[in-house]
Amino acid sequence: MDNIYLPHLATIEDIYEEAPDVRSFRLIFKDEKFRDSFEFKAGQFGLYSAFGLGESTFCIASPPTRKGYIQCTFRTAGRVTTGLAGLSIGDTVGFRGPYGNFFPVDEWKGRDIVFVAGGIGLPPVRSVIWNCLDRRGDFGNITIVYGAKTPEDVIYKNELKHWEERSDVRVIKTVDPGGETPEWDGKVGLVPNALKEAAPCSKNAVSVICGPPIMIKFTLMALSEAGFKDEAAYTTLENKMKCGVGKCGRCNVGDVYICKEGPVYTAAEIKKMYNDF
Amino acid sequence: MEDALRKKAKELLEKGEVRVVIGFGWNRARSRTTPVFITRPEDTDRLVFNPLCVNNLSVYLTRKFKDIQALGRPAIVAKGCDIKNIVVLIAEAQLKREDVFIIGVACNGVVYKQEVWAGGLRPGLMPTKCHNCDVRDPHVADAVIGDTSDFRPPENPTGFVFDRIRDIDSRDSAGKWGFWITEFSKCIKCYACRQVCSLCYCERCITEKNMPQWIETSAHPRGNLSWNLTRAMHLVGRCTFCGECERACPVNIPLNVINQKLALVVKDSFGYRSGYDEKEHPPMIVFSPEDKENFIK
Amino acid sequence: MAKAIKKGDIERLIEATAKNNGRFVAPKKAGTQVFYNEVGSLSEICFDHILPENSYKEYVFPQTEVVAEFKVRRQDIELKGVQPDSRDTIIFGVRPCEAAALGSLNAVFTWDYVDGFFTKRRRDLTVISIACTRGDNECFCTTVGLSPESRAGSDIFLRETEDNAYIAEPQTEKGSLLMARNPGAFKDADTERNVKKLFFPEKIDGIDIEGISNRLKEKSHYNEALWAELTRKCIGCGACTYVCPTCHCFDIIDEGTAYEGERRKNWDSCQFDHFTLHASGHNPRDAQYKRWRNRFMCKFNFYPEKFASKGCVGCGRCIRVCPVRLDITEVMEAFSKD
Repeated sequence: MDNIYLPHLATIEDIYEEAPDVRSFRLIFKDEKFRDSFEFKAGQFGLYSAFGLGESTFCIASPPTRKGYIQCTFRTAGRVTTGLAGLSIGDTVGFRGPYGNFFPVDEWKGRDIVFVAGGIGLPPVRSVIWNCLDRRGDFGNITIVYGAKTPEDVIYKNELKHWEERSDVRVIKTVDPGGETPEWDGKVGLVPNALKEAAPCSKNAVSVICGPPIMIKFTLMALSEAGFKDEAAYTTLENKMKCGVGKCGRCNVGDVYICKEGPVYTAAEIKKMYNDF
Repeated sequence: MEDALRKKAKELLEKGEVRVVIGFGWNRARSRTTPVFITRPEDTDRLVFNPLCVNNLSVYLTRKFKDIQALGRPAIVAKGCDIKNIVVLIAEAQLKREDVFIIGVACNGVVYKQEVWAGGLRPGLMPTKCHNCDVRDPHVADAVIGDTSDFRPPENPTGFVFDRIRDIDSRDSAGKWGFWITEFSKCIKCYACRQVCSLCYCERCITEKNMPQWIETSAHPRGNLSWNLTRAMHLVGRCTFCGECERACPVNIPLNVINQKLALVVKDSFGYRSGYDEKEHPPMIVFSPEDKENFIK
Repeated sequence: MAKAIKKGDIERLIEATAKNNGRFVAPKKAGTQVFYNEVGSLSEICFDHILPENSYKEYVFPQTEVVAEFKVRRQDIELKGVQPDSRDTIIFGVRPCEAAALGSLNAVFTWDYVDGFFTKRRRDLTVISIACTRGDNECFCTTVGLSPESRAGSDIFLRETEDNAYIAEPQTEKGSLLMARNPGAFKDADTERNVKKLFFPEKIDGIDIEGISNRLKEKSHYNEALWAELTRKCIGCGACTYVCPTCHCFDIIDEGTAYEGERRKNWDSCQFDHFTLHASGHNPRDAQYKRWRNRFMCKFNFYPEKFASKGCVGCGRCIRVCPVRLDITEVMEAFSKD
């Protein structure tokens, strides 16, 4: 019998401390055959097990263009993430996935891309960013707007620096007003405002947004004002999930099952959904 | 009696003394009573009171019902036994006495479950609490509706629950264990017992706390035992024997038996009965220098 | 082809089932209640019930079941998938309303990803339903488009006769096979003799299923104050969902020690306030009326629109079991009006 609830085992090859309470795992599947055949698309998610504590849902934060491993980034919040945070390099976790739909990166060839992320919303966006950077020639201008509460809360600090240093990417980073420190070399202000200030060209552009619900809401408004089309604004919705495969009845927003029809939606699709997430 | 009840409710709403009257009304088929929330004076005719009014509406005074609290100051239609729970809520600082208008209803007993009703109340249909009731005339109320009762409870408690307690007490420990394991095994973990209970007002119940996981959530014998025993222990010295948990249980676990047994233990050990005096705190939550146990000194 | 089975000959069926290492499940008395339970002889079966308290869904979707076992070996994990402990099961005395629910569960558990635990049990199950000759005020199958004669989900459909027998009509291959294998129980007979009059619950006047369906398709209903008003008394227990034959929500949890344990799939209820609670504290369904609205929409919108199946079969269990008597048909009536 094919057991859809049985996870694959993966070894934690490396751990990166990203920010207080936020860390990333670099995971290698134990089963070689599965490792070699494993494929996914940017935006898909998985269920990660801390054995004895349960499963938790996060996106795959590494790009599909990098084979042989996956990365996930999580904030310690509940029982499972606390358990995962207690694991060390060499320890074993479980993984089920990849599940859900994805960002249609292939359809974006030749277009400008604006990435907007807040706080712990960067991991799913990161997968798309690297996916696009690994095929840099396929796309037009790339702009990344990222905001966190404080400089300490900024995740992927080294990668942000790397992106800033590249001449083919424009990075705007910001921290919430009051969160700035003397060393902070970015902007101060909320993400939607930083986005307005950066004023990326909306013509032939696609945007990818992830962050807290309130940030998404105001970012979508800002993008709309700037002329971005709802059909070209993509975001990923997170809801509590247990099965990931459309059975457990938890993640639905009205009649839309996030785990099956999502988690990636355009702003146009979200506007048609029940306002219940 | 219903006329007086409706009149009182109307008057309270009209004067603005309360914003909502929590009471009993008929269902569509007029075959069962159900909780109603009356906010307009003209709707007070929906209020009823009869032996089918089994629910203990005091659950709606707890913080679990934020939307009801948002309506404003409530009046509640309460039988004497229901008032006991309100008294405990006040004693445990869940409610201020002045924050609720208690419409006490004089009661001659209700049915054990609405399903047993066939058009007349007789002792055989009544739960054990009614046979031993000393609050048929509401003991704490802002207004009392109905005539004074001349019912006097028996000296020694009688009824099915007490018979059952005597029976279980007479068994050896294996017999007691066997009885409860069998009963708890039926549990389906629907938590109706907890949700219907006005004294289970925790916003996050211990069974929902998972760091660590105190109680296994699976409906297997181990998980069921730990849930039912833990809940019983959390009600020691607080439970008023209103019987709502047993009534709500879809699989008829005799929760009245365990809760009444613990109430008897508390009465013997501390001379305390819950639900009579809102100024007195339940024994399990107070410290007294006279406490006889050494461990606490 | 239709045959007849005498009540007494059900004993033969029970014996044959036991001989094949199967189990025979039927309504059985436990105290003052009746539950679907395994029976070893005819005398254990309760024939005069309307509906058992529990839904027979637990025979395809148990309250709790182990899906995997694990042992911690230093840094490694020994992980083992578990097979469902299922065997041939005959379930006797199912009501037509409930039998119809099996297809609904099947739709959820097999769309796209297939839940092998469900399908294995479903394959092992033979459903023998009996047309209702009795009912109560809570029965409302006729209101949702079913009737005591509905045959959906049944493998064998029985109608009771005045002379202590049943007319048996096979509905599926599985049913035909069971009848053919037990010629001692299922015999040729005049199949239209003395069939008992069936009980048809009165269709509730004010309810228009199509109207509800259309109303729920219009997203405008979502923020109506009606939801909160109608469901204010709901205390947020899971009784209605646990006795419901189409409710399918579950949780996946780990149990055990730091060294070994098991992963379980447990019934869960959309009525619990922590059901959709995120670890961050955010809760998309943060009020009881939203949880109730979700359940109602699951029955009358998600199931029919998404899975092309019935979400509510009108068995009435949720009404009987509700501690505060929140009657789903009263909500249906309210949403039948414009």
